[in-house]
Amino acid sequence: MKTRKPHAALFVALPLLVAAWWGGVEWADNPPATATVTMTNMLKFAPDTLYIEPGTEVTWENTSLLAHTVTADPELASVEGSVMLPDGAAPFDSGTMDPEETFTHVFNEPGTWRYFCIPHEGAKMVGTVIVE
Amino acid sequence: MLTRNQIASRTTMITVPFLALVLWLLPPAQAAPQAAGNAPPPAAGYLDAHKNVDKPLEILGGPISINIEQASGGVFVSLPDQRELDEHVFGTPSAPRAFAGTPGVNGVPMMARNSENGTFTNMKSMSPFGDKHVVMGNGKLNISALDATATDAATTNDEVRLMASWEDGQGNTYEVRCCEMLATHGMEFPTFGGVVTNHILHGFTRIGTALMPSEYTYFAFWGMGAVLKNGEVVDKPRLIHGMLTEYVRTEGYQLAADDEVTPTRRHFHLMVAPFMPDMQNSSFQQKPVATGFELPNGMELPFWHVMFENLDITSARN
Repeated sequence: MKTRKPHAALFVALPLLVAAWWGGVEWADNPPATATVTMTNMLKFAPDTLYIEPGTEVTWENTSLLAHTVTADPELASVEGSVMLPDGAAPFDSGTMDPEETFTHVFNEPGTWRYFCIPHEGAKMVGTVIVE
Repeated sequence: MLTRNQIASRTTMITVPFLALVLWLLPPAQAAPQAAGNAPPPAAGYLDAHKNVDKPLEILGGPISINIEQASGGVFVSLPDQRELDEHVFGTPSAPRAFAGTPGVNGVPMMARNSENGTFTNMKSMSPFGDKHVVMGNGKLNISALDATATDAATTNDEVRLMASWEDGQGNTYEVRCCEMLATHGMEFPTFGGVVTNHILHGFTRIGTALMPSEYTYFAFWGMGAVLKNGEVVDKPRLIHGMLTEYVRTEGYQLAADDEVTPTRRHFHLMVAPFMPDMQNSSFQQKPVATGFELPNGMELPFWHVMFENLDITSARN
């Protein structure tokens, strides 16, 4: 006895439709992934290396008493190795962040990003974001 | 069993740092023998030739005006520390350099240096120049200056107006104002009429303390000013020195050796020195600054050495 092909197709299509509907509901209710990096009096980004997925929104919080920047722009770097961008990625720079200020950037391109703080580049205040 | 040399060495290890700190903080009369026990500073002859010049020449290209501002962000305040001795500046025990002049102001005498395996290691005494520091908030800096006079002289057309302030964790405000009088000529090293631009200072140059690294200096001044706490003058007159230099701190905010400076970044140093000029003897005498800031050991911080690093800098030929 032959089985009817339409029945088999229905078994495949129905779960997919449900999954698509459920997935859409989940996307509407949950915001994108986020992560936080703090900037310290010790001239460190904490954590100094952050592993995230594409689309993650990273917020830097200046919890120190000092003014800092979050700078991933080769044009603004003066020390070799302060900046690294994935191929084709656009540079960014927070500008001066006074104490208690925050800066947010969404990382879409996979790869390794190295950034630094302009006033404290000489003191090796650098951080890394790895998007994978 | 310890040999006599080992006993002497261990005794020295215990007593010398203590004695050195005491020497650093001693009142002028007691500190004088240490200062006098050296050859004259290398700039003494130059200063003799310039200190009575009534009409000094102008700097090449004409006067330079300088404005430096920090509107927000904190500051780094140096704490007493034992400075590591850079071989580029201080040489070796068999071929020492930078030993003459008032200790700490200009050179560092041999008796104040630790050494090991044929190299100098660090200072036996504490000084304002080292790695230890604390961060304080709400740093403000406003400087307007003019570099007109070229050389050391009896008179000057240089000018400096400085106001600097910062706050500790308890909400106390510390302030330095300068300059009611510029150092138109130096006592142990040149001051170029009180203001100098585009020159190398410190380290091997012997212009200023050798305990700071040799550093390209875009602007510097020396003058007499006032120290305030919470709006009240707590010490005046005091020797004030400020300079905008290439970046001389490394990871962890350690004070750089000569080969560790970052030439492509700048910061401003403000120094209220624990010394006063001794005009009669063309030297300096130790005198702790009344800062009003208490160290964890209960002693008052005897100097201000403060770094500002969030700067707006403008300059122009007039």
